[in-house]
Amino acid sequence: MPPKKRQKSRNRPPAKAAAVAKPPARSVRLSPNMKFTAGLIGLVLVIVGIIWWSNRDEPAAAAEQLVRANSHKLSAAADGKVTLVEFLDFECPSCAAAYPSVERIRTEYAGRITYVVRLFPLTGHKNAIPAASAAQAAANQGKFEAMYKKLFESQGSWGGKETDQAATFEQYATELGLDMTRYKTDVAAQATSSFITAEVTDAKTVKVTGTPTFFLNGKKLTTTPTYDNLKKAIDEALAS
Amino acid sequence: MNRAETPFAARISGWVLTIGGAVGFLAAFTLIVEKISLIKNPAYVPTCSINPLLSCGSVMQTSQAEAFGFPNPLIGVAAFPVVITIGVLVLAGVRLPRWVWLGLQTGTVFGLVFVHWLIYQSLYRIGALCPYCMVVWIVMITIFWYTLLRNLHFGVIPLRNHKTLLSYHGLILTAWLLIIAALIGIEFWDYWQTLL
Repeated sequence: MPPKKRQKSRNRPPAKAAAVAKPPARSVRLSPNMKFTAGLIGLVLVIVGIIWWSNRDEPAAAAEQLVRANSHKLSAAADGKVTLVEFLDFECPSCAAAYPSVERIRTEYAGRITYVVRLFPLTGHKNAIPAASAAQAAANQGKFEAMYKKLFESQGSWGGKETDQAATFEQYATELGLDMTRYKTDVAAQATSSFITAEVTDAKTVKVTGTPTFFLNGKKLTTTPTYDNLKKAIDEALAS
Repeated sequence: MNRAETPFAARISGWVLTIGGAVGFLAAFTLIVEKISLIKNPAYVPTCSINPLLSCGSVMQTSQAEAFGFPNPLIGVAAFPVVITIGVLVLAGVRLPRWVWLGLQTGTVFGLVFVHWLIYQSLYRIGALCPYCMVVWIVMITIFWYTLLRNLHFGVIPLRNHKTLLSYHGLILTAWLLIIAALIGIEFWDYWQTLL
């Protein structure tokens, strides 16, 4: 072996010198394109990582901010042991997607769970606040639940629109048999917008960033609010 | 000799067209097959309908899915094979006349504009993402980009300072795709959060 090695180096000294000087340097060297691309991907990964990390912890929210005295209680448990709070936006499609599951849960667990609706109209939806105001105006006449159902069940016909849907909501109010003079006053009332602002403030205090967000006995649910997931979480809470 | 002179970004156009065209064709073809299944049986759940957000069933039934009065993927099924063919010819070393490249560029510009309109519709109007469609988005942008770079390098499209574009081809494409990814991330933030 040693002679062979020597022979090789003796035969091609210039080639060896060139090989040492150039190819390794070239193979390690990345083009600026590759460097910047890798850098960009790295930067994005770091940002995503930071966002993910900062959203990991979900502290138990303060009870008072989750359920206020004037919050909309749609179902009430006799023993008050299990409380499900939902922060929702009437114009949010995933809230409408969760709605049938929530209704099924409410029917099946009637009398065993308390269900509270908190309003969290998102700024990206043009008619989220008008819809929340409509629900609040209906609440003043004891029809919050009816309006809540109507808004979700008909979301397909008014949601996602750029134009103001107040007339559609008035139509719903009429169908629910509301006193329309009072409804129109209440929709525009300062008390209504103050209520919604307070709801949004509470949502932000308990670190709700999107809708629908569910809290079960003060703990944020992290699973997708499907019927099965909600049922599982509620069953666990009832059993504990 | 040609290898040494032609920058990488222009050299890989044959591969990009062939592979990109094939991937785009497969995606469009799958979408058409799913569409036919959906027509045959309205209760059919397409293979790409994973959850309310990642769903092609809901996207397929929107008016935007038939922008020109017929299902959009028909365009892909017809046009991607042309892209594959040109790609294969390039790989085979065939020199294509300037008008072919201009024609391909025109087609890819149409595809690019259409795809971005669909991205906008998907994100801000339909509110759902269709996985196969997203494959087409990526492929379409990539094909457009490397066709443009190739045409800039060979002077099919005259533009003076095109060297920077060619040397930073990967960076620009990555940034482009990441911007779209970021828009998706922001728009469906509520949903992604539920996955954490």
